[in-house]
Amino acid sequence: MPPPMNLLQTIVMGLIQIVAVLIVVFIMVPLLTFAERKVIGYAQVRLGATRTASGTRGFTASLNRGMWAMGKVPVLSFFRGLPVFVADAVKLITKEDIIPAKADRAVFTLAPILSVVAAFGVFSAIAYYPGVMFYMPKSWPLIGGLPFNGAIADVNVGLLFILGLASVGVYGIVLGAWASNSKYPLLGGLRSAAQIVSYEVPLTLSLLPAVILAGTLNFKDMSVILSTGQGMSPLAVIPLFIGFFIYLTCGFAETNRVPFDLPEAETELVAGFHTEYSGMKFGFFYLAEYANMIVVSCLATAFFFGGYYLLPFGLQRIIPASVPFLGHPSFLFFMAKVSLLLFVFIWVRATLPRYRYDQLMDVGWKYLIPLSLVNLFIAAVIRYAF
Amino acid sequence: MEHQLESLGRNLFAVFGLLALAGAAFMVVSKRAVHSVLAFLFTMLCVAGCYLSMDAEFLGVAQILVYAGGIVVLFLFVVMLVELTKYKEKDIFHTQSRAAAVAVIAGVVAFAGVFKHAFFGPASPEALVLRPELAQGLDVAHQNAQAIARGLFADYLLPFEILSVILLVALVGAVVLAKTERV
Repeated sequence: MPPPMNLLQTIVMGLIQIVAVLIVVFIMVPLLTFAERKVIGYAQVRLGATRTASGTRGFTASLNRGMWAMGKVPVLSFFRGLPVFVADAVKLITKEDIIPAKADRAVFTLAPILSVVAAFGVFSAIAYYPGVMFYMPKSWPLIGGLPFNGAIADVNVGLLFILGLASVGVYGIVLGAWASNSKYPLLGGLRSAAQIVSYEVPLTLSLLPAVILAGTLNFKDMSVILSTGQGMSPLAVIPLFIGFFIYLTCGFAETNRVPFDLPEAETELVAGFHTEYSGMKFGFFYLAEYANMIVVSCLATAFFFGGYYLLPFGLQRIIPASVPFLGHPSFLFFMAKVSLLLFVFIWVRATLPRYRYDQLMDVGWKYLIPLSLVNLFIAAVIRYAF
Repeated sequence: MEHQLESLGRNLFAVFGLLALAGAAFMVVSKRAVHSVLAFLFTMLCVAGCYLSMDAEFLGVAQILVYAGGIVVLFLFVVMLVELTKYKEKDIFHTQSRAAAVAVIAGVVAFAGVFKHAFFGPASPEALVLRPELAQGLDVAHQNAQAIARGLFADYLLPFEILSVILLVALVGAVVLAKTERV
């Protein structure tokens, strides 16, 4: 049992955890953009970003040059292009920040902030590991020996908190679109509002089977119960399996990713809701989109894909807890699964074409909502009959 | 620690309450409809903050989810489509000022009565709490989602269902009105 903390210690530990999570996210987002360039490149039989390398001299550079000279694609070229994200960041920060003359200045500035705050606020309720990850070293002043928890805030209505905060994110897009005072962003914003509000329904409905089966709204408890399958019927695999795919589909729509990226359909709307944005204001929208992808992957991992355990869909029960490493929860399993789902995001983007607007609404209202209701019914029957 | 947190919660309640009032005032006086909607959103979030500072997590989060995430988005959707500046010279939104003034005075009087009763009147005879047999095996102070669910679906099931029917009636009514206007 750790010693009780006073207010100052609580605040300092909270800040440390927030900074730690933000650092991880800020490392993941640029890596994700790099991975996106590379994976889409390979999916479309080209190399992706290769031009920028860390140096033009040295052993690897000469090896690369030698292979190019022989007419071969160098093996090491896979990680060439990685430094591009530094250039991206520098460009976004230093670029001129233009506010259109007829824009509503206050709302125009507020919109990207809302987007980013909603996207990053969600990370506070996500548990990355059940319980305490490690204890701070005893020798440190003030915070020595205090626990570093797997979640910033262990909210007992964690799932609702996440859904609520994520639903505030739509304001960023809608207000940004309106404040630009230009027709393409407005069209993009209206599309986006309709799309996100529509897809919130099946998204929430697809999470309800998980809530019914787990019997709690606490993020950590839900994840542990759903992955270890304690107290659940073996049949619970069925609703979790269906729910996973419904949730992931709706997650794609909520994050405005291909094939649901109608708010920024280039062919019709220039760049959609962020047409008029430049500089770091655009950067904020960009950050929010990738942060939202990470959030969706975290939620899908935690509730359906086995969370901190090895096997997904509550199948972990076939591995007894006595097995070393594989039978125990691990932060590594969680991150590996999140990475896998992020890869799926990119993979789908490289594979599928965009939906038409009426098709998008059809998929949401005519197929996903009935399907998720049926899934909810199955989950309820399994919970109370078996 | 407990004591510190308690006083912190009280102070936060005051902060959020004042912010909510400021947001509401801005919503009324703001000239542009979208700014009004934004101020309304801010007020709703502050009210959610009030609930959270009183340890009512479920209510607070439901407030964000329903009002901020659902209802205000729809308001914004409609307001964005109607560009109010176009109608400025026609003055179509200021025809009801007198009726509005009467309504505001009536509202102020009614609320003053309620506040007088709340602040100076007798305390309510019995607090609205969960029946002990429903609260069995439940840590009510820390599981208020479960506590609300048990109360809602046991003691208050009928009022709850009637409320949902009233909402449905409003929805059907809106559809009927819109349909007749088109024909």
